Amino acid sequence: MSKLWPVPLAILLCAGAGFLLHGAWQARRPNETASPTQADRIVSLAPNLTEILFALGLEQNVVAVSSDSDYPPVAAAKAKVGTFWQPNIEAIIASKPDLVMTLWFQQQEAVAESLRRLGYRVVTLRIQTIPELLSAIQQIGAATETADRADELVKSISNRIDHWRSAQHTIDPVKVLWVVQTEPLRVAGRNTFINELLELAGGENAIGPTLQQYPPISSEELLACRAEVIFQSAMNNQDISAQQKAAKAFWSKWPSLPAVQNDRIYVVEPDTVLRLGTRLCQGIELIARHLHADAWGQAANAK
Amino acid sequence: MNGIIEARNLSFGYSPQAQILDNITFDVQPGAFLSIAGPNGAGKTTLLNLLCGLLTPTAGSVHVDGRAVDSYSARKLAQKIAVVRQEYIPVFDFTVAEVVSMARTPYMAPFGFESRTDRDAVDEALAATDSARFARRPIANLSGGERQRVFIARALAQNTPIMLLDEPTSFLDIKHQAKIYDLLKKTQLEKGKTIVAVTHDINLAAQYCDQIFLLRGGQPTAQNTAGGGQPSDNYYIGKTSEILSVELIEKVFGVKVFAGRIGQERFFLPWGEFSKDKSQDNH
Amino acid sequence: MADTLTARNLAKKVIVCLLVLLIAMGLCTLIGTQPISLQKVFAGPGELPGENVDYQILVGVRLPRIILAALVGAALASSGVVLQAILRNPLADPYILGISSGAGLGAIIAVLSGISWKLLGGSPISVFAFVGALGTVWLVWFIGRTAAGSQVTALLLAGVVVNAFFSAVIMFLTSIARSDQVLTTILWLMGNITEKAMSVLWLSAGCIVAGITALFAVSHRLNILTLGEEEAKGLGVNTARTKLVTFSIAAFITAIAVSLSGLIGFVGLIIPHGVRLVLGPDHRQLLPISAIIGGVFLVAADTIARIVVPPAQLPVGVITAIAGGPFFLVLLAKYSRKVSWLR
Repeated sequence: MSKLWPVPLAILLCAGAGFLLHGAWQARRPNETASPTQADRIVSLAPNLTEILFALGLEQNVVAVSSDSDYPPVAAAKAKVGTFWQPNIEAIIASKPDLVMTLWFQQQEAVAESLRRLGYRVVTLRIQTIPELLSAIQQIGAATETADRADELVKSISNRIDHWRSAQHTIDPVKVLWVVQTEPLRVAGRNTFINELLELAGGENAIGPTLQQYPPISSEELLACRAEVIFQSAMNNQDISAQQKAAKAFWSKWPSLPAVQNDRIYVVEPDTVLRLGTRLCQGIELIARHLHADAWGQAANAK
Repeated sequence: MNGIIEARNLSFGYSPQAQILDNITFDVQPGAFLSIAGPNGAGKTTLLNLLCGLLTPTAGSVHVDGRAVDSYSARKLAQKIAVVRQEYIPVFDFTVAEVVSMARTPYMAPFGFESRTDRDAVDEALAATDSARFARRPIANLSGGERQRVFIARALAQNTPIMLLDEPTSFLDIKHQAKIYDLLKKTQLEKGKTIVAVTHDINLAAQYCDQIFLLRGGQPTAQNTAGGGQPSDNYYIGKTSEILSVELIEKVFGVKVFAGRIGQERFFLPWGEFSKDKSQDNH
Repeated sequence: MADTLTARNLAKKVIVCLLVLLIAMGLCTLIGTQPISLQKVFAGPGELPGENVDYQILVGVRLPRIILAALVGAALASSGVVLQAILRNPLADPYILGISSGAGLGAIIAVLSGISWKLLGGSPISVFAFVGALGTVWLVWFIGRTAAGSQVTALLLAGVVVNAFFSAVIMFLTSIARSDQVLTTILWLMGNITEKAMSVLWLSAGCIVAGITALFAVSHRLNILTLGEEEAKGLGVNTARTKLVTFSIAAFITAIAVSLSGLIGFVGLIIPHGVRLVLGPDHRQLLPISAIIGGVFLVAADTIARIVVPPAQLPVGVITAIAGGPFFLVLLAKYSRKVSWLR
């Protein structure tokens, strides 16, 4: 038995040697990417990235998008390279991109790594909060030589956000609950970007600070929070009225909630609100209109 | 090829209070056919396991061919002692030939492929036990008697000077009991192997085994020096014809027996409440 | 007369199976969601990356995946063979002694902690999963040994207890994670074959092949082990050492496989069974043939996973489960006369 161990040992040593050699070879190889500013064929792997690219006037340069990139409508006509959660690397390669834009999520990270290893230029952006969104727009502008337009876009969004923020002082915040899931009941907590939007729109999260970002809550907590308005994001974009009816039936279980008593339960299309993209302000407006229909309606019309 | 077993002051127990075997000393000469007999729970299997090194005695030692059993490597010991236990069905369906070939493990090279010598040993063992015709059959498809013959074939193929068997025929009918013990006797006589078999049937011991180790088990009592016994009270060892007497059997097994004789063969029948012949004439 | 295995016989079978593996791997590189032509591939990579799309896809995407699938399949199948022999239980699989929950726990901790540095080219999930798997196995072995001297039952029970406890911890962590983290963890737990760097593949291949070779060297003793402790010792096998060595190697290669591709189920359970039903239980051929067939199976399963719901892809564990079940039933029906304990 003792004279056999050299065999597996030899294999292991070869493996180790190969590993080190490969690694060294990979490091020594110069980065063979195309000139870093070329961005004629862009692939976007997230719907909000697609929106930003189109807003920066790069419609012609975008060659493929993730299958849920549906805004602007012309984007939906572009070639598809898989879903946001599962990008199809073969399809991405087949569209011959010179720039691939991804979001900072583990699923996309794996694909981004593979693409980088194959020599493609991949830009990964983290968009989890509003400031990150603005910074991402600028990064995209820098990567695609559209820095001026990026700055403009950032400025316009920031202005409107400041406008909302200053208006907050004049209005009493409304207690809002943003429900992400009904069974089990889960809501958006205070350290989410949804919370930022709610506050900008003149609301206040009905539940207090929590450990989780999207905590499940019990009926007890629900009743204690005394929410005046309840938002639910629609499952899909069809038949909102049917979903609204179903929601009303669901919430009627808790008749003591102010939101239920005053029938202020709204099922909203999630794209503008949840996507954290260029239509952010539309999303805020949507929320605000529901929260303070009278006040904001006038103010918005006045603009 | 020797085959000497020496047990010296063997004691064993799972705890100090529960001593199963106490201070046992005996020798088994090469070429002997020793039977280990005694009542249930006396410790016969334990003794066998001590002899083959599976259990470590709490006191005393076992020597095989001059060396202590625990000084042998597993491989070397397997070249000295082959063990056959009560028949069983292996979990995976090996064929008869494969099972018997496993006996050659102590002689095989690391990657473990059988050499010419190994194959010959296997063939010989199969022939000796009349099992060659099922060489390709899965062992689970055989009857109990056929299966046990295969395990004995395996022990033969192991080519050891010593064979230890633990109640090899307790689940077999009388035809197969006879066949198996005939086989063992043949092996002893033709090959000169030392055979030690735990026997549940003292009549088989009387028929086939030259020597018998009668293990009484239980608490030691007053000394008994009936015919050829060692100066100890919980076991008796000696020639079968001398040890197997009515008094000793009744003392060790705790049951009345009457002895019979047909020509050279002796046999013993237990004498219970419903026995037909109550007379003492046939003692 | 008695025809047991010979080295030549085995070599023939192994070569045939290796050919099948190579052909399968070759064919599967040509199958995928993007049609590619072999001719264009031969034109070479081109000067700029991405110039020859067909080449990029075949060499950069499909080939590493297929190699990984073959390696993981081989590792899991061999490990299954070893565990079924050691535990004397045809229903054992490589994950039975805690590897699955240990790896899962490592994975979710990596995801939650948000660490992003790499070690030896492995992502945080891989490294943590590997450490988790080996650590748990050691824990189970330790508990089993302290409790009852490495008896098979003690090991199995220790494995069940540890699995249960760690699963509870995983559930707790999952409940407090963000939704994207949860999805990441779940997808990882279902088992996925992805593209890895060549250096990582090289290192893993070396470890796995070395491990399988070492196991093959002692596969004869696995035969003896299946007879039981007493019988094996009587035939000259050092059971404690053999069990420890083979188990350690099997755990090691399983941990590598799991760290690379998550928990792919069924391969380690079904392939040894299938091969055993066809070729018999002799581990000298069961081990290498199972390893190779395991590779073929996972390559095929991964290819199906890649093309069945384009443009997304199913986790390969789904395919192995769906395919493995009925496949096994067919084998069982066909060869049941060989297996007496079914009667």
